[in-house]
Amino acid sequence: MERETGVWRLVFLALPLGVFTLLVIWPLASSFYYSFTNWNGFSAEYDYVGFENFAKLWTDKLFFNAAVNTVIWMVAAILLPTLLGLVLALLIDSRIPGGSVFKSIFYFPICLSAVVVGQIWIWIYQPDWGLLNTAVNAAVGSDLSFAWLAKPGTALGSVIVAWSWQQTGLSMVIYLAGLTSISEDLLEVCEIEGASIWQRIRIVVIPLLTPATVVVVALSVINSLKGFEILYIMTGGGPFNSSDTLAMHMYNESFKKYLMGYGSAISVVLFLVALTIIGIYFRELKKVDEIYG
Amino acid sequence: MARLTIENITKSFGSVQVINGVNLDIAHREFVVFVGPSGCGKSTMLRMIAGLETVSGGQIRIGDRDITNVAPSKREIAMVFQSYALFPHLTVAENIGFGLRLAKVSREEIDRRVAEVAKTLQLEMLLERKPRQLSGGQRQRVAIGRSIIRNPKVFLFDEPLSNLDAALRVQMRLEIARLHQRLDATMVYVTHDQTEAMTLADRIVVFNAGRIEQVGTPIELYEKPANTFVAGFIGAPSMNFIEANIDTSRGAPAAAFGPAMLPIEAARLPEGPIRLGVRPEHISIASDGEADFSGTVEIVEKLGAESLVYVQTGFTPEPVTMRAPPHLQVSPGDTLPLILDRARIHRFSADGAAF
Repeated sequence: MERETGVWRLVFLALPLGVFTLLVIWPLASSFYYSFTNWNGFSAEYDYVGFENFAKLWTDKLFFNAAVNTVIWMVAAILLPTLLGLVLALLIDSRIPGGSVFKSIFYFPICLSAVVVGQIWIWIYQPDWGLLNTAVNAAVGSDLSFAWLAKPGTALGSVIVAWSWQQTGLSMVIYLAGLTSISEDLLEVCEIEGASIWQRIRIVVIPLLTPATVVVVALSVINSLKGFEILYIMTGGGPFNSSDTLAMHMYNESFKKYLMGYGSAISVVLFLVALTIIGIYFRELKKVDEIYG
Repeated sequence: MARLTIENITKSFGSVQVINGVNLDIAHREFVVFVGPSGCGKSTMLRMIAGLETVSGGQIRIGDRDITNVAPSKREIAMVFQSYALFPHLTVAENIGFGLRLAKVSREEIDRRVAEVAKTLQLEMLLERKPRQLSGGQRQRVAIGRSIIRNPKVFLFDEPLSNLDAALRVQMRLEIARLHQRLDATMVYVTHDQTEAMTLADRIVVFNAGRIEQVGTPIELYEKPANTFVAGFIGAPSMNFIEANIDTSRGAPAAAFGPAMLPIEAARLPEGPIRLGVRPEHISIASDGEADFSGTVEIVEKLGAESLVYVQTGFTPEPVTMRAPPHLQVSPGDTLPLILDRARIHRFSADGAAF
């Protein structure tokens, strides 16, 4: 009986393990392997080049540009949806009229694919008839036809806004769930002890939302690391590499310049960065668990 | 002076009235306990005193000051919750000093007063701990610490010991009693535990269905309950109730029940059937020929210091409970002749009021 159960366990585990190996472990291992080669992505022949690809990273100005953009992208793509989601959740939780309608409206963009979101915002940013310029012109009576996505100074920021618009709904619902889990007694203590609204939010509510923040930040990190499609759709890394991130740079090197070995080296660096962030996250998670259980 | 006056207070949630015109005068430094069954309105009344619930009608005053519509933080009250309501992310010291921090009191002053309170409550060694690292009793002491640091005029306790185990509850009860002796404050305490009510209270207020049934000292309520509700609610095990009729066929009125006829004296006898109330300690085993009635022992509970004997009588729906000495040799199935202590029998009319 015991033995039979063990066999069945293996049978049931085989499928997910197989899928995981095929889609995650195998590509990961392949990336590590190809990062030490000069494979071009399609030919059967390639050579082992040692750490040459990694050494090249140090001299690649575009790699550094992409690394800086990635840091900007990640910081903004984590901070903006987190902060906006928190503010919206606090507003909706304060029982403003029509709160549940706003909740649905703000959550809606998360249901769309990044490609659709990208396309919507391309239209919004369209220089001649886009919603943004039209609205600005209508408001201040100017004749603005600014190309938000075509200027190096505004391209990355414009994509970050579009990204935040989509992601804010997710952090908002997680914060709303976190707010409902705060004990009513604690808020009543604030009332009796004379906390102002700001003191209540700063000293009590935000710290008590830490477990929710951990989830929001984790999801934001994961999503921002994966946030390739929206950049690809909206700017493709341009203009003049101004919105080029590591993921975008890796894609361009691998699939546009056919330097699969070098692209793999970039992906290995990206993987190690992600691993470090996840390591820090788990360490912090443990601390949060100790306090809030 | 922290005299607390509650005048004609009503509270409704929608169309449901949960507090029906409560009047109460609580003296400075008095310890008053609200008791009553679940949903009787005692906690709602406490929360209205705290300002956490609005009042539908009436007035609440502390001293001469009308606080009915004053914000909770301006009422000079402090409240201790059943859940302790400690902030999990703050240390013991930060929890105790929470109110002072909000009031922007200087760091040194907060530290000094927290140390003082911690000493009183024996929390000095725990000041840097987080609530999760404390036992239930320690957490409740921190909650009490947070309430006393602001020197409030009125302390409100909402079932503060309900989450503690029995031994700790006795210990904390004593600590609260000591605290009351030491502090110059009025205390209002809600509980459903009548031992807490009896041991802590200067006066007990018995609530039922949103109104006060009786107010009095613990002994008054125990010895002179105003009605069957208070009589049945105060005292454990509960008072025995026996349905009886007034018999005047032999001249002097007597209460007739089962085989018994007990002479009954009253200035004015009520119409119809009556109900007699007898505490378990006022029933005893009768000597030969003296018995009021006899019954069959159903269960004997040996509690060590005493035994509780449950006796089926045939004329009461529930068995009669008798408090007996611990070594009384009786077994289920035995027939016992019983006698009631005539001086201690409570008499209630059909509507439940004592007469």
